Amino acid sequence: MNKKKFKILAIVDAVIIVALFIVMFTLKGQYNEQAQTSVKEQVGAYQETANGLLQEQWKSVDQYGMAWKLIFTTLTGNKTEASFNAAVKAIEGDKEARFKQLSYTFTAAGIPPKVQNDINEKGGLADKFLLKDEKGVKEVACGKNCVITFTFAKGKLKSSDYKALVEYNMAENFKLEAPATFHFE
Amino acid sequence: MNIKTIAIALTVLVVAVLATVLMQKGNYVSQATEHYEKTTTNTFKGSSKIIEYVSNSIDQNKLVWALACDAVQSVKTSQDMAKLEAKYFPTTKGSNSLSKKTRRFEATSAYFIVSSFDKVDEDKKTQLKTLSGLNSIDVSALLGQVAAAAPAEEVEGEGEEYVEE
Repeated sequence: MNKKKFKILAIVDAVIIVALFIVMFTLKGQYNEQAQTSVKEQVGAYQETANGLLQEQWKSVDQYGMAWKLIFTTLTGNKTEASFNAAVKAIEGDKEARFKQLSYTFTAAGIPPKVQNDINEKGGLADKFLLKDEKGVKEVACGKNCVITFTFAKGKLKSSDYKALVEYNMAENFKLEAPATFHFE
Repeated sequence: MNIKTIAIALTVLVVAVLATVLMQKGNYVSQATEHYEKTTTNTFKGSSKIIEYVSNSIDQNKLVWALACDAVQSVKTSQDMAKLEAKYFPTTKGSNSLSKKTRRFEATSAYFIVSSFDKVDEDKKTQLKTLSGLNSIDVSALLGQVAAAAPAEEVEGEGEEYVEE
């Protein structure tokens, strides 16, 4: 190649280098923003899933505690339908007692009060307790996928079935999936 | 330095800059992946620990509740109570207080019940004293109405793991 051709090559190279630097700095900003957005979105989505599960467990333990309290109150009371109905209302309505019982269970499990308060503030207590009340048959929520039944005949307790609660396996009902692989979108 | 050398050097530089441009996305992906994995793994571990510890605690709690509910329906004496305790907790035994006429069963330091009886009976042959006439069962500890006992192990640092949405 002669001198002129090398000169042209050098000029073209110089132009390409300048162009590449411009592309590089433009992409740098884009990639940086893209990376931050992707991480924020995907981390946020996973944390939302995890926090959602903790809130669901919190509510479930609330139902669980209320259910046991109701069983004990019913078995030690006069076993009438009227007393049962009053107990359901009293237990569900006493949110302070529910939180106390719930918090005691979480504290016994080694969960610090700050974490308990965070979960409670975001999710709150359970909003369902008495699920069904038809012709003397009462179904009560006792946790996620847990229902106990009380049957009344002529206003008196005929039978109580709380086997589901005795056999309740919370670990099986609450499993957090490991985080998915990161996608740079 | 002649123009030939400069042209060759610039060509090499073009290749190097082009390689940098092509690789920079990979660097960002790598950094982002590392940050994502670190953060989500912490969340996964922290949340899973909470779920596991609470589930384990519930496993103990439900047996004490079941014992109390079973007891109010069938127990008459402290011996009946002892049999029922053995059914739910084969390795843990309750203890009688003859002066208070109570029997305390403690599954864990947090979960315990106290049964109150009407009287103390004494076997004339063996002079063994037992309690009879179950009066009531105190489930305050199961209702959280006592001071919380210190847990055996506390979840560490989950204040950070529980992330605000």
